[in-house]
Amino acid sequence: MTKEEIINRFKGKFGSDIEVVENNQPEPYLYISAARYQELCEFAKNDPQLDFDFLFQLAGVHYPDSRFEVVLCLSSHRKIHKAVIKVKLDKDNPATVSVSDFWATSAWFEREAMELFGIKFANHPDPRPLLLYEDWDYGYPMRKGWTGPDFIPMPEK
Amino acid sequence: MGIIEKVPVYIERVPGGGVVTTSLDWVLNQSRASSLWYMLFGLACCAIEMMATGASRYDFDRFGMMFRASPRQADLMFVAGTVTHKMSKRVKLLHEQMAEPRYVIAMGGCACNGGPFYYDCYSVLKGIDKVIPVDVYIPGCPPRPESLMQGCLKLQEKIKKEKLSDWASDRKKA
Repeated sequence: MTKEEIINRFKGKFGSDIEVVENNQPEPYLYISAARYQELCEFAKNDPQLDFDFLFQLAGVHYPDSRFEVVLCLSSHRKIHKAVIKVKLDKDNPATVSVSDFWATSAWFEREAMELFGIKFANHPDPRPLLLYEDWDYGYPMRKGWTGPDFIPMPEK
Repeated sequence: MGIIEKVPVYIERVPGGGVVTTSLDWVLNQSRASSLWYMLFGLACCAIEMMATGASRYDFDRFGMMFRASPRQADLMFVAGTVTHKMSKRVKLLHEQMAEPRYVIAMGGCACNGGPFYYDCYSVLKGIDKVIPVDVYIPGCPPRPESLMQGCLKLQEKIKKEKLSDWASDRKKA
């Protein structure tokens, strides 16, 4: 399916909760509201025309103006198309639902986002830390403005 | 380490005993420097250069340096690659498992002082000399095999200047 067909299929089901990002990429980039996030993931996986059966990246984002987002990159092995779904989260308490029921690959990506950004994923099957060492208690390092021991920021020119 | 600590001290007290210890020094230093068995401890990209130096074009075996996979059988440790905080505890453990006399070469920018990861990085240890004592630093990203070999030859020169009492006393223990 082409980019427009994918966008129309999503808009047909979700209407105004979808917001399309205009860019020159070959994949559609869509914002979904946080309330219908899980419903969209179920639809993307189970719909016979969209058929997104593989999630190849899930990342947390922290912008300089303190917004949090979660970005999913989905692809389909049979239909050979991709899509990028973005969800905006709360500034002070970023929390959303885990999609590891639909795509098992999202489990480790969500563990990384939980550990490095502090984004909470409900119903996660294994919420242990993944990358940092065992007695880490210096906060969430990938947030903007984080400092910790042995962290030397780049000096301003 | 009981006998080896006392023997050089008593020999030197005997008149003319200095000749014995210096000859023993010479023999032991030559034999240690000519057959440095290194532990394969490649962590990241510098490991590829270490492997290339050990292969046939730039050969390590002509200096007598064989690779051993276990720290118990090695007396040189190349720390080749980026060391993270999570890995630094294990590096220290492996260094302590090597038997003395043991030497460490910090290979590459990341092992010398953090390298390209010095600024803006939360997980990289800025230099392996914060946890283990280093004898030779080889800068480069990655250092060419010729640089690595020059580092090993420098280590051999350093070994040839050692004395018997160095490893027995507390001067070298760290």
